[in-house]
Amino acid sequence: MNLLVHDAGPQTTVQDLGRRGTLREGIPPSGPMDRDAFLLANRLVGNADDAAALECTLIGPRLEFADERWVAVTGAAMAVTLNGAPVPRWAALQVKPGEMLRLGPAAAGVRAYLAVSGGIDTPLTLGSRSTYLRGRLGGHQGRALRKGDTLPLGPPSGGAPARVLERFIPDYTEAAMVRVVLGPQDDRFTPGGIAALFEAPYEMTPQADRMGARLRGARIEHTRGHDIISDGVALGGIQVVGDGQPIVLLADRQSTGGYTKIGTVCSFDIGRVCQVKPGQRLSFKRVTIAEAHELGRAYRAELDHAIHWEETP
Amino acid sequence: MGIYAEPRFLPCGDLALSVELGDDINREVNARVLALEYLIRQRNLAGVTETVPSYRSLLVYYDPLTAGWDAITSSLRALWREARPEVLPPARTVEMPCCYEGELGFELEGAAEKLGLSPDEVVRLHAAAAYYVYFVGFTPGLPYMTGMPERLNIPRLEQPRTKTPPGSVSIGGTQCCIYSVESPGGFWVLGRTPLNLYDPSAADPILLRAGDHVRFRAIDRAEYDSIADAVAQGTYTTHIEAPRHR
Repeated sequence: MNLLVHDAGPQTTVQDLGRRGTLREGIPPSGPMDRDAFLLANRLVGNADDAAALECTLIGPRLEFADERWVAVTGAAMAVTLNGAPVPRWAALQVKPGEMLRLGPAAAGVRAYLAVSGGIDTPLTLGSRSTYLRGRLGGHQGRALRKGDTLPLGPPSGGAPARVLERFIPDYTEAAMVRVVLGPQDDRFTPGGIAALFEAPYEMTPQADRMGARLRGARIEHTRGHDIISDGVALGGIQVVGDGQPIVLLADRQSTGGYTKIGTVCSFDIGRVCQVKPGQRLSFKRVTIAEAHELGRAYRAELDHAIHWEETP
Repeated sequence: MGIYAEPRFLPCGDLALSVELGDDINREVNARVLALEYLIRQRNLAGVTETVPSYRSLLVYYDPLTAGWDAITSSLRALWREARPEVLPPARTVEMPCCYEGELGFELEGAAEKLGLSPDEVVRLHAAAAYYVYFVGFTPGLPYMTGMPERLNIPRLEQPRTKTPPGSVSIGGTQCCIYSVESPGGFWVLGRTPLNLYDPSAADPILLRAGDHVRFRAIDRAEYDSIADAVAQGTYTTHIEAPRHR
């Protein structure tokens, strides 16, 4: 059974948790930009965490269902309607054959996730269904969805009424604060340069995509140039080039690069960076590796309690 | 200069660290990076989820719930002591046909002028050298290579191009690379190979790998076209010489 795309939106892609082991060949992992919103959407409809779902950017798609499914929309605040009637986000919904689900423009946040029970069943490429747009790899024919596409769905796994608890639903209109571990090249910046990163907030620029997000704010001063001998670029790496402005490197990042990286955004805050709209601000908070490990552990344990399952009669 | 007495462990957030083994670009340091990666993979080192080699360092992604900072750095340090070039399996040599003619080598004349050589001399020097792939990265399947004679050392372009055709064989500094997808570029394009460095439709999309040896074979436009056709039809077999010891 499948899903018919009536309108695709500007950039709707199939994503699962991403590829593993291909960075050494220059192929990024891809996968959802906001991993936690993605996970919650899958969990709401009874899918495994690594089932493929849709990532919708800025404006969502309009989709028709061929059979009965559970669906859930999380992430960016895109108004959702089912056959024209508003329905809640961050909750499991039942759709019937022939019904039309529509995700509107994002009032807040950038990326919404639409999970369908059974998952999107496009072929595995290098072990993953994630779309890598620049490499024309994976997902649906290696590209973003277009009007008229038909997506295969896996066998539905059941489902039950469920919603995400209020306290786990982020307010994307608030200024974001993300945690950063210094390194790998923090020794290439002046004390003033490092202080600048953590002092005042930075503004998201329109130069932000699945590869990286360019920010604008106080100049981050180098000690001796911004070139290094090219090395691996970790998820969340904050690259600072000659203009002293930071670029946070994301899911579709280059595997290696030749510019200094002052620090790295912690994995549990990457999703929040990816929901900041151009013109919105975000600030960086310095943490140690030990603190980051503890925060990450606590955060992931907490996320396991984010969903409230309604009583079934 | 060269190999550090002890590896440096540089934090890269909560899920990765960079193991830096030396302070310059040389084959000896790189062979140790590749050897360390090889041993990690061979032994399934606990906690490691992914590795990315580069010139002189290995980026190691890890799961801190399996191995925290102290555990992962101490097991990497122990493995580093064993990570000598001899542990690596024999390397292969891949032949890359390259056409240096006309529009395919659209910066050959500019590079020749900059180097004070004739275009023919640049082609002869470039095609005669033996290259070594330090690592593959930046874009899918892009090899970072050295091996050029000193006479071909050339500053990078002052104004990088916004688009470089895939397959463009190019030089900058002491390095040679082959662009794998259409991308910006700061190296001088001397020619183009009809082979796919990256083919997303293939089961194994990557042609060259870290540690490979590469030889270029100068071809004319007619042969370029005929190889390109064979590649498109899936009938071309890349020439790979029997593995040899490093």
